[in-house]
Amino acid sequence: MQHSPRPAARKPPDWLGTGVVALILLALAVLGANIWLNMQGAGVTPGFGFLAQTAGFDLSESLIPYAAKDSYARAILAGLLNTVLLALAGLVMATVVGVLMGLVSVTPSPAGRMVALLYVELFRNLPKILVLLLFYVLAVRGLPPVREALSLGPFHLSNRSVYMPMILPDPAQLWLLLPLGAGALAAIFWARRARRIKWETGRETPVLPVALALLLGLPLAFALLAGVPLVPTLPTFERFDFAGGARLSVQFLVVLLTLGLYHGAQIAEVVRGGILAVPRGQVEAARALGLSPRHVTRFVVLPQVLRIVIPPMINQYVNLIKNTSVAIVVGYSDLMSVSGTIINQTFRPLEMMLITMALYLGLSLLASSAMNRLNAVLRARGARSAT
Amino acid sequence: MTTSKILMSLTATPLALGLALAAAPALAGPVMDDIKAKDSLICLVSATAPGFSVPDSQGVFQGFNADFCRMAAAAILGDAAKADIRGVGFSDSMKTIVAGEAHMGSRSITRTGTRDADEGMAFVVTTFFDGQGFMVPGALGVTSAAELDKAAICAEDGSTTLLNIADWFAAQGMTYRVENIADKTARLEAFFSGKCDVYASDVTALTADRQLAPVPGDYVILPEVISAEPLTLVARPDQAFEASLFWAFQVMLTADVHGVTSANVDAIVADLAQQPADLQRLFGTDSATTDMAAKLGLPQDWAYQVVKQVGSYGEVFDRHLGAATPFGLDRASTLNAHVADGGLMYPYPIR
Repeated sequence: MQHSPRPAARKPPDWLGTGVVALILLALAVLGANIWLNMQGAGVTPGFGFLAQTAGFDLSESLIPYAAKDSYARAILAGLLNTVLLALAGLVMATVVGVLMGLVSVTPSPAGRMVALLYVELFRNLPKILVLLLFYVLAVRGLPPVREALSLGPFHLSNRSVYMPMILPDPAQLWLLLPLGAGALAAIFWARRARRIKWETGRETPVLPVALALLLGLPLAFALLAGVPLVPTLPTFERFDFAGGARLSVQFLVVLLTLGLYHGAQIAEVVRGGILAVPRGQVEAARALGLSPRHVTRFVVLPQVLRIVIPPMINQYVNLIKNTSVAIVVGYSDLMSVSGTIINQTFRPLEMMLITMALYLGLSLLASSAMNRLNAVLRARGARSAT
Repeated sequence: MTTSKILMSLTATPLALGLALAAAPALAGPVMDDIKAKDSLICLVSATAPGFSVPDSQGVFQGFNADFCRMAAAAILGDAAKADIRGVGFSDSMKTIVAGEAHMGSRSITRTGTRDADEGMAFVVTTFFDGQGFMVPGALGVTSAAELDKAAICAEDGSTTLLNIADWFAAQGMTYRVENIADKTARLEAFFSGKCDVYASDVTALTADRQLAPVPGDYVILPEVISAEPLTLVARPDQAFEASLFWAFQVMLTADVHGVTSANVDAIVADLAQQPADLQRLFGTDSATTDMAAKLGLPQDWAYQVVKQVGSYGEVFDRHLGAATPFGLDRASTLNAHVADGGLMYPYPIR
């Protein structure tokens, strides 16, 4: 932006571009008017009033309290939250698996490279719905039925769910946010101090154990002293199923595994490409400076890889978010499943499709804008260190 | 890319709505005259419903529902082959009948109040009583749906099954956990592997799906039927036409009660004097049916033609859905058995 803008050259107006845009807008307007008129003619008034009506169907699982007597709007919210949970867990798993396999694929060990190659080629070349169904059938058949659940103390595993103990929620627990916030502040302070000591003296100070102790210890001490109720509930078997405690459904785990492995394979390729794009000279120079192989990877290779891979990773992340919709096949009540059921009941496909598209679009845009911001930060940092 | 998706869904909607608009109610005139003038009866069935209506290798529709199209053609035109059976999608078929482009529909349409209130079509007679039920592994020791509190239930995602379960369990003051699985393979796999305790669907579907279990005998269908699905013939409104369909169906039921089939009807007619009064009224040359024929404008021997060319109700049921078919439905265990056997079917008096 240091250059002064060039004086505008006299150019003929862009008639072609303007024409194309005008044509598209005109087509959209005709479509919109057409839909409106047709719906009027058929006695259908487009509108979103139905969202307040009783949904009348149940979901396989929900992060918020939800029952059939709740509204369509709440059903959509519950489905959206299930999609978000699946997407977040999927992003973490795909990234971890992808980066690990990407690193393995460039190791000197031929066995490691072979494993990575097999994994990537297998998962990249199979339709994910097939993989999902296979995993589902294997899980449902392979895991024991609920009456013969594998138990490890208060943890139980069956082909329905993983059951685990949980602390009963209580409004008084909101007070724990205070010591948690204080712990977080103290941890940040400690981390800054450690960095300063390292900068000034070169000495290493433990950061992670102290931060963990602060984040967990402070709320726990507060709860004990102030008498905040922390009542654990254990899953216990009743007539048909375990009750109490918390559960993670098998379908959630299976979809998570499918998405994590499928996109992990794609991310591994992205990471491999990023590593190969780092000039060999960089590694050799770092080795010549006496850095250990681990430090070469951590301080020289990965930072550069990160900057190369972020744009293609945005693509992977957005794809993963959209691909969570395969969950409908195996009965995980995600946004797509809720939306489909509502369409079947209300015969309002237009409104529901618009809502569903807007929500998926919002999630994808949120993810890509966050990644773009990260990209901008990394680029700025890279530019600064380059000068 | 997203824009093109929006465009696609937007263009699809006006098309569908355009179809609905084109279906403005036409004349509710003499449908019988139209059938006779064309010498052909246009009957709509589902294009893909195994057991009920599927095209055979010659492209001719075969199945339980398709046979009621033949019943109508045999009764009115004297020739079952004059039924022009066409496969059409569910919502389109109702529109087509309302628009006057077809004479009748025989396609598993549940008779509901709001549908019956439409003046463009008339529900005539229920050919199949279905309803939603529950299937459980026998090992659970459950004998009634009232014992299913807190059970895990597998059901098709997006279907009305989900609503019926929610309503029923709420009314019983019981809770449950649903496994709403869209894929049928995954759904059955989940049930047979014990991921759910219960499988919920229409009873007919339960019976058919039970055959897919490793050991079908391990599963029992509970006696409770929690929703009513009376699958009913639909006609273009015309008093004579509706009466013809209704009574042709009663002929098939009467034949069923007396064990008359397409195979033995000739022998029965040849020896009519020795037969019960019911059958004499059905096949006699000067009987209730010939009287009806004159008033409704049917061929004299319409009752004979229906039984000869199509068969009795039980014969049609067994031919397409019975034990010898992949469906393996035992009619006696369904609501379609005769009242005497615990079903809902009995013939109205033809006299």
